[in-house]
Amino acid sequence: MSDHGSGPRALTDPAADLTDVFAFPAPGRPQHLVIVMDVFSRAGPSAVFSDAVIYRFRLRRARVAASGPDAAFAVDDDEVAFDFTFDVPEESDTARPLQRGHCRTPSGAAVSFYVNGEKGASGPGVRVFAGRRSDPFCLDVRAIEKTIATGRIAFAKVGSDTLYGTNVLSIVLELEWAKLLDGGPMFAVVCETLRAGPRPVRFERLGRPEIKNVTLSVKMFDPVNRDLEIRDLYNSEDAFALTPDYVGAYRARFNANLSFYDRLDGRIDWPLDAGGNHPLTRLLLADFLVIDASKPFQEMSYFEIEHAMLAARPHATAGGRWLNEDVMDSLFTLYINGGNGPRIDDGVASPIAWSSTVFPYLAPPNPPQVTAS
Amino acid sequence: MIVVTHGAIALRNLQAQIDGLEPVAVSPEARIAERVQLIELLALRGLILGSVADYERAQELAHELVRNATTQAPAFLARACTRALFHRFADALDDLDVAERLGANAETVDREHAAVLQGLGRYAEASAIREEDARRCPSFESLGALATLCAESGDTERALRMHAESVRRYRGVSPLPLAVLDFQFGVMWMHHGELDRARDHLIAAHHYVPAYAAAQGHLAEVEAELGNTETAIVLLHPLALSSDDPDYAAQLASILADAGGTEDSSYWRQLAAARYDKLVALHPEAFADHAAEFWLGAGADPAKALRLARVNFANRRTPRAQALLSRAVAADAMDHKGGRQPGRETAYFGVTALES
Repeated sequence: MSDHGSGPRALTDPAADLTDVFAFPAPGRPQHLVIVMDVFSRAGPSAVFSDAVIYRFRLRRARVAASGPDAAFAVDDDEVAFDFTFDVPEESDTARPLQRGHCRTPSGAAVSFYVNGEKGASGPGVRVFAGRRSDPFCLDVRAIEKTIATGRIAFAKVGSDTLYGTNVLSIVLELEWAKLLDGGPMFAVVCETLRAGPRPVRFERLGRPEIKNVTLSVKMFDPVNRDLEIRDLYNSEDAFALTPDYVGAYRARFNANLSFYDRLDGRIDWPLDAGGNHPLTRLLLADFLVIDASKPFQEMSYFEIEHAMLAARPHATAGGRWLNEDVMDSLFTLYINGGNGPRIDDGVASPIAWSSTVFPYLAPPNPPQVTAS
Repeated sequence: MIVVTHGAIALRNLQAQIDGLEPVAVSPEARIAERVQLIELLALRGLILGSVADYERAQELAHELVRNATTQAPAFLARACTRALFHRFADALDDLDVAERLGANAETVDREHAAVLQGLGRYAEASAIREEDARRCPSFESLGALATLCAESGDTERALRMHAESVRRYRGVSPLPLAVLDFQFGVMWMHHGELDRARDHLIAAHHYVPAYAAAQGHLAEVEAELGNTETAIVLLHPLALSSDDPDYAAQLASILADAGGTEDSSYWRQLAAARYDKLVALHPEAFADHAAEFWLGAGADPAKALRLARVNFANRRTPRAQALLSRAVAADAMDHKGGRQPGRETAYFGVTALES
C-alpha cells in the first residue's frame, strides 16, 4: 500500500503512520499550491490526530541539475516548513469529538481550526483543513504479493481494491507559493510525522508513493541485506540529507528490487550500469515529490518531470501527484517497461470515491462498512 | 517523561483501528495479515480495558484463521498468542511447534515461546531466550520483555536496570507499551510489599492510559492496603460496573466488607461469584487462580478455592501457583476444623487472570 503501515514502527501508532502525500497546483488557481498529507490507514469513526505528533510539511526550492542517464535534482539547503499540531479532543468520550488543530506557518503565524470543519481555516497566504476523509489511494495488494511470489505479473483484468471503502485522516495545506516560498517555481516536497518535545524525533517521512512498501520492503532479492527490515531505518532519515553510512544499503535494495520488476515482462528496459546500479535508483533515492508550480493543474503528472529528465527533454507538466491519479499503474509501467510498452494495468482503476477539484479536495469519509461475518 | 499520545486519544484510535479493520478482516477475501492484525488489536484492547469479551473474540478469530489457513505459520502464531492469553500453555506450545515447521521466523517463534515458558514459571528457559534476544537486538521490546521476566522471577535489581534501559530506547508515540511496562513493575513491587513504589508505577501507568483497567484496579488494591479505603472504592467502582472481568467486583466486595458496607459488599460478591463460575467453566486454565483467590477471600468457600488452586497448579507450577495452593490447603483444613474463615488478608488480588 502506498505508505500504509510502512514498517514495524509505523504500525505502533496509526495516527503517526503516513499513508500518502500529494502535491498539485490548485485547479484553476495557478498561484496556489496544494499539498496533502494522509495518515491512519482504515481510520474508523473515532479516529483523531495525536497530540504528541508534529505533522510537518517541508518544501525546498529544486531544479534539474542533470539530464539523461545521470538525471538528478539539485535541492536548496534552505527550506520552509508548516507544522500542524493537535489538542486533546474537548469531548473525548463522545462519538464525534471536537478536536482543535493549529498550523504554524514559516513566518510564525498560527492558524487554528477545528478538525472535520469542512471549510477549514485561513491565514496569511494559507488555507488549511484537517479531518477524516475517503482514502484516495487504491491498489490490489494480493495481486502484488502474487506477482512478487511468482515472478510473473499477476494483475487481473478486474482487480480487488484492498482499500475499498476505507478512510484516512487528511491534512490539506493550500498556499500562495509565490508569496510564501521565496522563489521557485520548482519545489521538492516531503511530509513527516515527528514525536513532539524539546527535540522532536522523526517518526516517518514520505515523498514518493510506494517506495517503502512495493519498492523496498521485499528482502529476498537483496544480495547484501537479505534479512534486513530496512523501512524503519529509511523512515528515520532526513529525505534531503541521507546518512552516508546507510546509502549503500538503500541503494542495494533499490537496485535489486527494481531489477526484479524490470524482469517481469521478460525484457530488460533498465540495463544496470557498470557499477550494477539501476538507472532509477539515484532518482528514487531523492525521495520527495517534485512539483513545478508554474505549470497548470493536470490529472496525470506523477513522475513526468523525472521521465523528461531521463529523456533529456523539458518537462511538460507540474509533476507532483494529483489525488485521483492511478499511481500504481504509473509506477508499474515505469518499473516494468519504462514506458516502452503498454501501460501496465493492475486491475484497480479508481478509489471508491473521486476527489474533487474544490477545497478540501478529498471526498468525505465513507460510511462504516457492514461486517461480513 | 517521554512525550506520547494522550491515553484517551490512544484508546479512541485503538477503537478506530478495530472499527476500520473489522469489516475487512472478517470477510472471506481477507488477507492473513489483516486477520492477524485484528486479532492482535482485539487482544490489546482486552488487555487495556480488562475485557474478557475481547480476548474471547480474538481467540475465536484465531481458531477460525487456523481452520481456513492450515498451512500458514502466522495463523498458528496468532492462535498460540490467544491460547497463552487464556493460559492454555500446552496448546500454545503445540501451535508454536506447527508455526516453526511451517517456516515461521525463528526469532518470532522464540519470543512467543519465551512468553509461554514465563507463563509456565519456567523462568530459566525463558530467560535464555530473552537474554539472547536482548543481546542480538537491544530494543524497547526485547529489553522490556527481559525486564518483565526479571521482575516476575524476583530479580528486582536487574529488572530495574532493564526497565530503565528499555524506556531509554523507546522511539514510539503510543503510550500503551509504556503503560503496560509500568503496570508490570507496579505488580512486581506489590509482590515485594513495597506499596509506595508499586503505587508510583501504577499511577504512571494510569497516567499514560487513564482507562487502563488493570492499572486502576491494582492501584485501588494498593490504596486499600495503605488504608485509603475511600480512594480504593472510587477507583474500583467504575471498573466493577464496566468490566466483564470479575476481579474488580471481587475486590470491591472485599474492601466494602472490611469497611462495613455489608449490603453493597454482598451485591458485588454475588456478582463476582456468578461471573467466576461462568468463566471457570469456559476457561478453567485462565480463571482458576483468581477464582481460587476469590473463594479464599470474599467468596468464603475454601473447598472450592482448594479445588481451583489445584487446577491452577496442575496447569502451571509457578511460585505464585504454589503459594496459592498452600494457602488454599491451609484454609480448607482450618475450615474443616471449624476454624475461622480466611479474611481479606488472604484475598490477594494479584495480576488479573488474563494478564498473569
